[in-house]
Amino acid sequence: MSATAELVAEHGYRDTTIEMIVRNAKVGYATFYRNYPDKEKCFLALLEVATERTARLVKAAYDAEDGPWTDKVAAALDVLLGEAVAHPAAARAFLVEALTAGPEAVERHETALQRFAPLLRPGRELCSRDVELPETLENTLVGGVFWLVNLRLLAGEASEIHALLPEVLEFVFRSYVGEDEAAREARELAAAHVG
Amino acid sequence: MADDDLGPLPPGRHGFTREQVAHHQRERLIAGLASAVTERGYDAVTLGDITKAAQVSRRVFYEHFKSKEECFLAAFEVVLDHVRRLVAEAVEPIPDWPHRVLAGTRAVLSFFASEPDLACLCLVESRGAPPEVSARFGEAVAELVPLLAKGRAERDGTRPLPDSTEESVIGALVSLAYQKVTASEAEQLDDLLPDFTEFILSPYVGADEASRLAHSTA
Repeated sequence: MSATAELVAEHGYRDTTIEMIVRNAKVGYATFYRNYPDKEKCFLALLEVATERTARLVKAAYDAEDGPWTDKVAAALDVLLGEAVAHPAAARAFLVEALTAGPEAVERHETALQRFAPLLRPGRELCSRDVELPETLENTLVGGVFWLVNLRLLAGEASEIHALLPEVLEFVFRSYVGEDEAAREARELAAAHVG
Repeated sequence: MADDDLGPLPPGRHGFTREQVAHHQRERLIAGLASAVTERGYDAVTLGDITKAAQVSRRVFYEHFKSKEECFLAAFEVVLDHVRRLVAEAVEPIPDWPHRVLAGTRAVLSFFASEPDLACLCLVESRGAPPEVSARFGEAVAELVPLLAKGRAERDGTRPLPDSTEESVIGALVSLAYQKVTASEAEQLDDLLPDFTEFILSPYVGADEASRLAHSTA
């Protein structure tokens, strides 16, 4: 799987051919077609596996953290950003190139990102301001985090992604606990999760 | 520039009617591409779809464009130019930054809400299209960064905002607009205006002021 992700990351989804995939994976065409009717289905299967794995790791880190919500989010984002650094080709293939792999890949990509939104929802309980936070807030924040990650991937700066942790935390916390508290918590928690 | 201007476009779910598209062949091809792509998606669209929608021949297509991609890029540029002009007109008379943000955001959201096909083209299809197009999308979005960064002058505190503030705010809103459009709710984009503007203004003028401005009827 990681070999195919490498190909897609390097050549882009469109220019990656089945020939390249089978040659890389050292299997025959028959094996490929036994498992997948076409390139798109192959990519979707890989996207599913990669997404499941990352979501599981992130959720596990969130759940394992005993502290308050802010600590849990920091643990989750630490793992998420860490995954992108550890597996930049997969991150590139499944975050960036997935958008060019057909409408189903695009839809699955969006759904995958939004799996992280429920992790942010408990932040609402910390909001002391007497305002109604928009229903779309968590989805919006998740979108912003992944956009930042994508920008670094596109710029070939995958190694910088974990360094985003304090800024990402501040961005996420701000809507719930206000700017000053967000900055303080972000700084403390990011220091505790130095890569 | 006037030759490439699509001009004010009527609202419509199914693309452009013949009478309302400018006579100029290039404009008709661009309009044809826009409606064909939003109907079928960029990958599935054929030259035949485009030329049929534009009511021109394949020969005429090739007089103007080398490929589907080139035509898409041209369509994207035309719409972007139009949006830039709308925003410039909306903010020009306004002196203060927060109200410029309100006016500019309203102009963009209203435009895309009234042109769901173009919203789809710009916000959805352009992200999945060939690398040159998605790169152009990234560049267009990046144009917003310095406009937002002006808001840093509004802050009176001593602590500077993180460097990635503009990118994360813009990225979040691009994602939100994308979700709306892919849910076939482009016409409701302007309903998002208060949430959008509150989110944009918050880091620069503070949460309370951002909320007040976003929900004011000014």
